[in-house]
Amino acid sequence: MNKLLYPKLAASNISKNRRTYFPYIITCIITVAVFYIVRSLSLNPGLRNIRGDRYVSEMMGLACWIVGIFALVFLFYTNSFLMKRRRREFGLFNILGMEKRHISKVVAFESLYIFLLSASVGTALGIALDKLMFLLITKAVEGDIVFGFFISPNAIMTTVILFAVIFFIVFLNSLRHIHISKPIELLKSGSVGEKEPKSKLLIAILGIICLFAGYYISISTKDIISAITFFFLAVILVIIGTYFIFTSGSIALLKLLRRNKKYYYKTSHFLSVSGMIYRMKQNAVGLANICVLSTAVLVMLSSTTALMAGEETALHNMYPYEINVQTSSKESLNSFSNDVQELIEGEGHKVEKKDTVCCLSVAAVCRGESFEVTKPGNFGDLNSLNNLVFLSLDEYNRLMGEGKTLNKNEILLYSGDDKYNYNTLSVFDKNYEIKEKLKNISDICNSPVVSSYTTRYIVLPDENELEYINKMQQEVYGDDASRLSYILGIDFNGSEEQKREIYAEALELTGNMHTDYVITNRTNGKDSLYPMIASFFFLGIFLGTLFIMATILIIYYKQISEGYEDKERYEIMQRVGVSNDEIKKSIHSQILTVFFLPIITAGVHTAFAFPIITRLLLMFNLSDTALSAVCTVICFAVFALFYAAIYLITARSYYKIVSK
Amino acid sequence: MPILEVKNLKKIYTTRFGGNRVLALSNVSFSVESGEYVAIMGESGSGKTTLLNIIAALDKPTEGEVFLDGKSLSKVKEKEISAFRRENLGFVFQDFNLLDNFSVKDNIFLPLVLSGKSYAEMNLYVQPLAEMLEISDLLDKFPYEISGGQKQRAAVARALITQPRLILADEPTGALDSRATDGLLKIFSKINNDGQTVLMVTHSVKAASHANRVMFIKDGEVYHQIYRGSSSDNEMYQKITDSLTIISTGGADDE
Ligand SMILES: Nc1ncnc2c1ncn2[C@@H]1O[C@H](COP(=O)(O)OP(=O)(O)OP(=O)(O)O)[C@@H](O)[C@H]1O
Ligand SMILES: [Mg+2]
Repeated sequence: MNKLLYPKLAASNISKNRRTYFPYIITCIITVAVFYIVRSLSLNPGLRNIRGDRYVSEMMGLACWIVGIFALVFLFYTNSFLMKRRRREFGLFNILGMEKRHISKVVAFESLYIFLLSASVGTALGIALDKLMFLLITKAVEGDIVFGFFISPNAIMTTVILFAVIFFIVFLNSLRHIHISKPIELLKSGSVGEKEPKSKLLIAILGIICLFAGYYISISTKDIISAITFFFLAVILVIIGTYFIFTSGSIALLKLLRRNKKYYYKTSHFLSVSGMIYRMKQNAVGLANICVLSTAVLVMLSSTTALMAGEETALHNMYPYEINVQTSSKESLNSFSNDVQELIEGEGHKVEKKDTVCCLSVAAVCRGESFEVTKPGNFGDLNSLNNLVFLSLDEYNRLMGEGKTLNKNEILLYSGDDKYNYNTLSVFDKNYEIKEKLKNISDICNSPVVSSYTTRYIVLPDENELEYINKMQQEVYGDDASRLSYILGIDFNGSEEQKREIYAEALELTGNMHTDYVITNRTNGKDSLYPMIASFFFLGIFLGTLFIMATILIIYYKQISEGYEDKERYEIMQRVGVSNDEIKKSIHSQILTVFFLPIITAGVHTAFAFPIITRLLLMFNLSDTALSAVCTVICFAVFALFYAAIYLITARSYYKIVSK
Repeated sequence: MPILEVKNLKKIYTTRFGGNRVLALSNVSFSVESGEYVAIMGESGSGKTTLLNIIAALDKPTEGEVFLDGKSLSKVKEKEISAFRRENLGFVFQDFNLLDNFSVKDNIFLPLVLSGKSYAEMNLYVQPLAEMLEISDLLDKFPYEISGGQKQRAAVARALITQPRLILADEPTGALDSRATDGLLKIFSKINNDGQTVLMVTHSVKAASHANRVMFIKDGEVYHQIYRGSSSDNEMYQKITDSLTIISTGGADDE
């Protein structure tokens, strides 16, 4: 046989199947480009050392793995779809006298072409966008801008090798498809009548249970440790629930509608309900895929944008002042405070704000209006764990510049965002009247609590009361007891560089404190917090891009394969006397339902995921729920717009096929 | 007045890219009286399906007109054409054209549902029909669960349930084995005896021999017709074979 036959045939096959292959190739190219970018960023020396931190590099290294695995799974999946569509074509080749090994050869050439095309174009695109991404990241972490292109030969190599391996595995899968096919079957495939799907009520109910269990976890989890532990459980439950409900629940519901004769035998319902049963059987898994991917995109993007948008709040929550000191001795704090102030003013800066406080922070389990202090490990339900911060009325009045008074057994309470619905509060067997619920409290009191539990500030009438509480908690906790903390916070003006220098000098002064202490400063904290948040954000963007692309492709393929199937049904209906209008109306309503079902479900999932996500964001000290809500809504709106655009485009190719 | 009148039909197909023009029908005229059973025969590509599609208003003629009950199809408004087709015509196709996603019963109900009939009323219609066609037990099955002959009987039921003026059948026996063919032909004869007008396109001499009249189409024209008169099915069969021989040899002379 002519040597050029196979390469030529392969090329013409791709161009003949361009309706399905073109999007596939685009997908390959984008996947390659994203992988290259991520890999190159992880190697980029400009990101290696942003003031000693390697978050970005390390995070991008992690992203490499995720993108690589995603690429394998996704390209494998799409290729399987393409191969199934081409069964008939292979059958025809077979009958025309080509043996399976000849077909395999042709497919080998096809794979080679697609690999070469996507590897070269993808890498080129990656190199082009790499610089842009680098600049965006450096800007986000406020690092130093490095000019000039960074082209990593190492990244190019890794990309080419990885995708060579992936395409080879995908090619092996194509061979399997060709091998298991029988020519007769091949020619007939498609014309075999479709079976009516069985409704599996049990699975549908199981799906609903899983879904609500997942939702429940998200809503009910109050503390961060449980949030981290149960987040993945909730995700898995919701995914299982989604698949079960889409595959079985939808069909069970439709069949229920069909059983209702009065409803079912109405012109409009008759065509739609039966059409939907048929469609759901074909597409339930595809729709569930779309729904899960969309949810992933939404959750990822909304949480990372919330992080990004709230990074300043997070930083201030973590470091209420530029320099924060916490120690257990009043004297050393006072002398240190004076030393630092001298230092700052000696360097020619102005102290803008300086506060000190003495308070006691104790963990307690909240049971309605009574708080139990038990040994750690006996907390039981982490959800009801609270952080109680006690301070005396004198301290409070001094800090806030107020002149409040309290009788014995009266307290003031500040609960932050959390509501406290009772008028009394009891702790250590003492019952206090709450004289007033405070609207706010000085920043300095935030310092001892980096915890993500609900924190309540309790202002006690006098020092004796504070001493009593202190003694009681020492009895319970023994060696683990907290101590009275003396806290100092100082803000001063100056550039970031100057602030770092002063901090370094202040560190030396700590040698004079002959006691234990914790000292932090905001500028250095920012240097490690921002890159971490930025790397999460960009991870979200990269994975979001890939997932969105996967969603688009699955939707597109679904529309095309439905188009070819509906075409025949459409023709039959026309002959039997269904008017074009009626057909169009029914098709339109079905497509709309099928199309928007996943995104509406994804929206509901995201809404229910919101509580647990806000808990997880507390890990980064981001407590701004309103901001997170706004970010989520915006992400959903943008995604929905995107989705509607995909709908318009793919619906067009659908109608083209159907009405040809 | 004839139930169907076809006058000087001409159909030219132009391919999408303009170039090729195919003359599928050149000049076809005939009429069908109420209660007749007419078979149309002709070689492959002679334009039979085209003719049927035009009669069914699924396609438009290039020239000429079709009258159903004296009403010209070209006068029926575009919007009403589907309803018109549904109420006046019943179709039986070679490949059954049952919809996979409907049960047999729902397939039969389809035209009635479209006309807005109630479920009770539809049930009333379907019972005697299903009994006559021997598909009473199959009503709740789905198309993929029944045989070809059974599918075709279901399709006949769908065509008859609206009590159409005219049944149009395009090679209804084409996909059936000989036993199923016999069964279907018997059904056609029976409904014709009950007064139903039938127009059937077929390649099978046996199928055509059941008809009252056979029309032969060649090169887009009605070339020849034979009437049963008082002859039996067997005599009719003989007449048709003879005519086919003459036509094919005559055809050779023409070229
Ligand atoms: N949509 C179309 N576009 C162009 N040409 C067509 C179209 N449909 C049919 N033809 C041509 O018109 C002629 C008549 O076709 P038609 O299908 O009516 O034949 P037929 O008698 O039904 O044949 P068969 O017995 O094989 O079914 C053929 O030459 C065919 O190629
Ligand atoms: Mg034909």
